Amino acid sequence: MEKIKTLADLKRKQEAVKSQVNLRDRASRAENLVQVKVAMATCGIASGAKEVMEYFVEELDKRNIEAVITQTGCMGYCYAEPTVEVKLHDAEPIVFGYVDTKKANEIIERYIKTGELVDGIIPKNYETIN
Amino acid sequence: MVDLAMHMMDIAQNSIRAEAKNIEISFIENNTENTLIFAVKDDGTGMSPETVAKLSDPFFTSRTTRKVGLGVPFLKMTCEQTDGKLEIKSEPGIGTEIRASYNTNHPDCIPLGDLAGYMILLLIGNPGINFKFLYQLDDEKFELSTAELAENGIDDLSSAEMSSAVKEFMNENLKELFGKREKESFLC
Repeated sequence: MEKIKTLADLKRKQEAVKSQVNLRDRASRAENLVQVKVAMATCGIASGAKEVMEYFVEELDKRNIEAVITQTGCMGYCYAEPTVEVKLHDAEPIVFGYVDTKKANEIIERYIKTGELVDGIIPKNYETIN
Repeated sequence: MVDLAMHMMDIAQNSIRAEAKNIEISFIENNTENTLIFAVKDDGTGMSPETVAKLSDPFFTSRTTRKVGLGVPFLKMTCEQTDGKLEIKSEPGIGTEIRASYNTNHPDCIPLGDLAGYMILLLIGNPGINFKFLYQLDDEKFELSTAELAENGIDDLSSAEMSSAVKEFMNENLKELFGKREKESFLC
């Protein structure tokens, strides 16, 4: 493949990509979108959140899962970085800790695809009476 | 933080948290004088002089989720270990500019790292924010901005194919730029 070196090359690429994307079914977009938030504060960056986020960007697209991948700050679980929050359209957001690319694969295959819970969940939503 | 690209991501996150809409990231390298100035300028909420004074204290943070804030102290550490310095200018309501200067011939100078990779993640993760990226090497420079990309119809970076294309675009241009260095540098 030819190298992309100028803005014109990029523009051509975007047009090519857009025409492919349009072929896909994007009907039930908003509500079916998976939201993935990768914690990227000092603690996350230092423990490798970049590789995890790149993996999600690449793999979710490759596996045809429509998702919005964004960054968030530190959620206070610095000990468990890199952390990733995943929100499926019909569920409460769930935070996974110690996520590397292997764990990310497990999250995509088991949690995102089938809704099955996997190890490493941080009980963020745990509430007590007082 | 093992490289400057990590600092770039980290400091840009501070701007994002300060509700900035425009973030300018610049690296200005002077190959003959062996200096590099890394700066991030934003139009976020800004800080009062009292807050700015506390920034380099690792036990100061505006967060409530934890009691330490190491982003700025780490940046201060990496530039001061090359005899450089960190300057912060901020005004409430106007924005903040943070400048870290490095002596690139100092053996403790950290490398640049994967600037393109981190820049792409910033663009993907924060679609509502205008980013400007500049790398200047003496008289030559490479610029990339959200506005410029949008002018060329490049507005959707969420697909893996497109994000890797932009990354390749940045890497190719930066590689060409770095090839113009007259002497070797600890940055690469």
